[in-house]
Amino acid sequence: MSGLGDGPLLRVEDLHVEFPTEDGVVHAVDGITYEVARGRTLGIVGESGSGKTVSSLTTLGLTRTQGARVSGRISFEGKDLVTLPDRELRAIRGNEIAMIFQDPLSSLHPFFQVGTQLIEAIRAHRDVSKAAARERAIELLGLVGIPDASRRVCEYPHEFSGGMRQRAMIAMALANEPKLLIADEPTTALDVTVQAQILALLESLQRELGMAIVIITHDLGVVAEMADDIAVMYAGRIVETASAKEMFAGPEHPYTWGLLKSVPSLSASRDVELVPISGQPPSLIRRPSGCHFHPRCPYAQPDHARIDPHLEPVSGNPAHHVACLLQSEQRKRLWAELAKGATPEQAREAVGLPAPETDLARTGA
Amino acid sequence: MRALRTILLVAFVAAVMTTLAACGSSSSSSSSGTSSSGGSSLPAGVKNPVDESLTGGKKGGVLNEVQAEDFEHLDPGQAYFQLDYQITNSTQRSLYSYEPNTFSQTTPDLAEGEPKISDGNKLITINIKKGVHFSPPVNREVTADDVVYAFDRVANPNVANPYYLGYLESIEGMKDAKGGPIPGVKATGKDTIQIKLTEPQAAIVVASMVLPWTAPVPKDYAAKYDAKKPSEYGNYQVASGPYMMKNNSEGKVLGIGYQPGKSLTLVRNPNWNASTDFRPAYLDQINIAIGGDANVIGRQVLEGSDMVQSDAPAAPIVKLAVQQHPSQLTISAGGGAGDRYVAVNNSDGPFKNVNLRKALWAATDREALNRLRGGKTVADVMTHFLWNGIAGFEESGGFPGPKVDYNESPTGDMKVAEKYMKLAGYPSGKYTGSETVQVVGDSSAPANNVAEAVNSTLQKLGFKTKLNLVEHTVMYSKYCGVVSEKIDVCPNVGWVPDFGDPQAVLDVPFNGNLIVKNGTNSNWGLVNHPKINAAMEAAAKVVGEKARGEAWAKIDEELVAEAVAIPYQWAKEAYIESKNVNGINDYWNSGTFNYAFTSLK
Amino acid sequence: MTRYIIRRLLWGVLLLVVVLALLFVMFYILPTADPAKLRAGRLQNPKIIAEIRHTYGLDKSLPAQFWLYLKNLFLHFNLGYSYYSNAPVKELIFNRLPATLSLVLGGAVIWVIAGLSVGIISARRAGSRLDRASMGTALVFVSAPEYWLGLLALFFFASDIGKIHLLPGAGSYVGLTAEPAKWFTSLIMPWLVVAAGTAAIYARLIRGSLIETMGEDYIRTARAKGLTERRVVLRHGLRSAINPIVTVLGVDIAVLLGSSVLVETVFDIPGIGRLNYIAITHSDYPIIQGTVLFASLFVIVANIVVDIAYAFLDPRVRYS
Repeated sequence: MSGLGDGPLLRVEDLHVEFPTEDGVVHAVDGITYEVARGRTLGIVGESGSGKTVSSLTTLGLTRTQGARVSGRISFEGKDLVTLPDRELRAIRGNEIAMIFQDPLSSLHPFFQVGTQLIEAIRAHRDVSKAAARERAIELLGLVGIPDASRRVCEYPHEFSGGMRQRAMIAMALANEPKLLIADEPTTALDVTVQAQILALLESLQRELGMAIVIITHDLGVVAEMADDIAVMYAGRIVETASAKEMFAGPEHPYTWGLLKSVPSLSASRDVELVPISGQPPSLIRRPSGCHFHPRCPYAQPDHARIDPHLEPVSGNPAHHVACLLQSEQRKRLWAELAKGATPEQAREAVGLPAPETDLARTGA
Repeated sequence: MRALRTILLVAFVAAVMTTLAACGSSSSSSSSGTSSSGGSSLPAGVKNPVDESLTGGKKGGVLNEVQAEDFEHLDPGQAYFQLDYQITNSTQRSLYSYEPNTFSQTTPDLAEGEPKISDGNKLITINIKKGVHFSPPVNREVTADDVVYAFDRVANPNVANPYYLGYLESIEGMKDAKGGPIPGVKATGKDTIQIKLTEPQAAIVVASMVLPWTAPVPKDYAAKYDAKKPSEYGNYQVASGPYMMKNNSEGKVLGIGYQPGKSLTLVRNPNWNASTDFRPAYLDQINIAIGGDANVIGRQVLEGSDMVQSDAPAAPIVKLAVQQHPSQLTISAGGGAGDRYVAVNNSDGPFKNVNLRKALWAATDREALNRLRGGKTVADVMTHFLWNGIAGFEESGGFPGPKVDYNESPTGDMKVAEKYMKLAGYPSGKYTGSETVQVVGDSSAPANNVAEAVNSTLQKLGFKTKLNLVEHTVMYSKYCGVVSEKIDVCPNVGWVPDFGDPQAVLDVPFNGNLIVKNGTNSNWGLVNHPKINAAMEAAAKVVGEKARGEAWAKIDEELVAEAVAIPYQWAKEAYIESKNVNGINDYWNSGTFNYAFTSLK
Repeated sequence: MTRYIIRRLLWGVLLLVVVLALLFVMFYILPTADPAKLRAGRLQNPKIIAEIRHTYGLDKSLPAQFWLYLKNLFLHFNLGYSYYSNAPVKELIFNRLPATLSLVLGGAVIWVIAGLSVGIISARRAGSRLDRASMGTALVFVSAPEYWLGLLALFFFASDIGKIHLLPGAGSYVGLTAEPAKWFTSLIMPWLVVAAGTAAIYARLIRGSLIETMGEDYIRTARAKGLTERRVVLRHGLRSAINPIVTVLGVDIAVLLGSSVLVETVFDIPGIGRLNYIAITHSDYPIIQGTVLFASLFVIVANIVVDIAYAFLDPRVRYS
């Protein structure tokens, strides 16, 4: 995350998001920090429930209505989005920062024509006539590659195919030429072939419009192509962050390894979110002690259940951070074994680490 | 699926409508609160129709009348209901009428003087008044022919008069009449009609002439409506009395002066000649609003002005009136108010045994039954079968009734009951027979409570019972009085006579000769004692109020001696009016208002 | 769509015939009073009963009576005549229809507006004191019998018998065309009473439906567009939340058109419900048949209207 030009477009600092519920407080986001520079792409990767979506919704203030307790700072062009009044935040939403979501069918209002929804997005921030907004809507639909846009602008979402819907969503997000686009699992609900088209579209639009993108996904494969930088989230925290190149070349966190090993093949069903690693994501109400990942970590040592690791620079690479209690040397050797195709058990033995004390958390796999 | 949903909804709506109506009908009969003058005094300040002054009212004004119930049949040939009589009495002039304060003394109305009865009670000659005119659009003077036509049409199936055969069967040719001229009824002059009978039954024929069917009907105008099946004359009727239903130039009343279930408007009959009539007709107009909740309209009447309510007020309203507005309350005791008794099957089952009937009479707490129907203010304990205001009442015992031991205690006496159980052949004092007693009652309050009380009295006497509570109209048309149903006890029956004559009180409910095998009888206990039947046939022929009273009083005593039913209530009816209304009520018509005498203060 | 409507209408006609047939059978089988015997009154004479039967066509066989009824209905739109007043049933019903329509449609406007406002406010403040208070009140109104509410309203606010002489009370109804101002004031209390229970139901319905809708993804999208919360709720949220209401609204109105007897009675409004009620107490079958026929017609038409409205409301629905 090298700071290019005149400082980052978005800087998230020690962001906490908690939801009080009847069962207890859900610690959805637990002190994360990241930056996105203008025109760059940040990939946030993690399983569902890792806090990646909540953090980006919070950026837009969309968790406010859900009774979230938010602390920390979200600086966007000098404004703190955490404390910004609703009215000013609304002026940014859909205008300077736009967002697209995982399921384009459920994210589009089923009872309004696609065009109507686009026009609404334009007119929410631009004082233009309906006719002008409609022209713009057709133009946008053309821009995102929807053929015969002037006709399809009158159609309803259910008359669009899945890919077309996501294109329409993107068109809507681009309506006001945002500086930042947050794409939350933009391809998860789509066919594999369509996924690639959508990603290609996002890339080309980014080139054309020069906007920054935060792409949120559970699938490292998605960000491999697009992202400049990658942050891996687990249990509400960032456990590893690096440039995309670094991340794929020398991942440091056992969780990242798990993710990398489970990049879906083309034949995988798109409906199934692959569990990258054995075991279930932890409860965000009663999180594991010490390193939150230790119950699922094949390399966990006894004291990992007590000590809470911090995100620290990797030796020799100050831009690469990881939160892991294993020694740097051990991590490098483990990854080397895994990269050769060893199972975690084989890698552990090869490195000479003792087996974790409890295997309970792994029985789910 | 959708079609199924629709079907279910439709069925639901239908069911709701039916249920609502069922509830409604029960409440309407339950609200008929009556007000009692035990023996028979009324609460302080309450008006009694028999004492009211019929003269000196102020002329003019519009009366607003409210009634929860609708009218039934307003055609004078069909009217057979107290609310209908209220209209016919002020719009039609029957041959004879009652003044408001009597139920025994008739007054010549269209007739000029008393009827001449000759030929051994087989020929009746009546002269009618001159100068009586029909209302528009007919306008012409009433002649004897118009009365003859009234006789003709009462037998016309299109008119469907329900009672004519009960009273007029003895008129020559009446039995076979189909609406055409009746051989026994002739106009012998412009103002005279002659009625020939095949049996010496002149008394009952004349007595029935107070009913509206004798009101004149202009054949030239009415025949086309009477030809319709059913007759439409009621909706085009013309008046002969002081008032007429508002109509249009063709004479149509329906939708103009009468909107069924909604309103009825009476205006003055411009052709009415006061000098021919005993009615003062003070009011200029009467607006009748039909419908509404009895509690609401009752309050409107008591607290408002220019208003009366023509059907029975709700019980809470009667109470309110007694406490706060006694001068606005009229209670009519006896006379046309009717009675209530427990019918027991005299022809079949255990109660063929006279001693069991007496035992039930003795055991019944009649005061308790009356309490269930509103208590002393609204009911007198009934001790025999004639009632106050009818000839023969005093002769057969007055309010205390005949001196027989089973009639002694109005609250019931189990000792006496036991005595008769023993006489009936049950030495233990309890019924030990195998039969189950079939009891059919009215399902709506308060009648159902009476039925339950009677049922438990029966059980106290050792009877096994099966109590079946059904809707009021169903009880009458399907069970009680239907020979084949073999119902033993009907605790919720009662009778209102058609006119103030002892025969009209006793004949239909207790004359065994009138029982029909297939069909419903109003002799609900199927009372059929040859000796009594014969006495009734003889008494029917007696002429003269006093003589008839004596003859029927003897029959009343016989009915008590046979304990043909268990009487418990002489009903009283309550009516309310606004403060500024000088309401005159018809004692003969259960105490309903008489518009031709009522005035505004 | 047109073909669909035509098919539905034909089904509706068939359904009406079935309803009528059921009614005929019901009158015949159930232990209801025999109209001829009722008419004959206390002096039951078999000859007179037979004459009455004949005069009213009751001596014909059940199928023959039914066939005659259908023939009159479909060929002449003749619904028969009242056994009592001999008035044409059709005329009676059309005479009463305006009052019932005034009552029910006016009530519907009130209950929709009240139900929507309370429902929306409650949904937006779900769990708050205001929400609990209004939902509690709604529960009271849902459970309160209309008749009782009506009496209460009259005893408190009627200009003749009320504690506060505020509004015209029972029996004050006049036709809209006769005196529009009086028509309006006389209906204020009945409207409120008719609306109370249903408004409460709608408020609860809207609340639940809106809370559910506000959790939808497209609401998040609407917010992400930067729309005002007001627009998000009223345009995007309500637009979806309203659908179940539209379904019940049509049917509620239809059902009430046939069964508003209680409110009509308390406030003495001469409508269809009361016509039917009096007819049932008198066993006046032609009127009962006529009113049930109309009530069924309302329900059937309302269902068709609801289905068509649905196609317009929800573009995903297409009938064929």
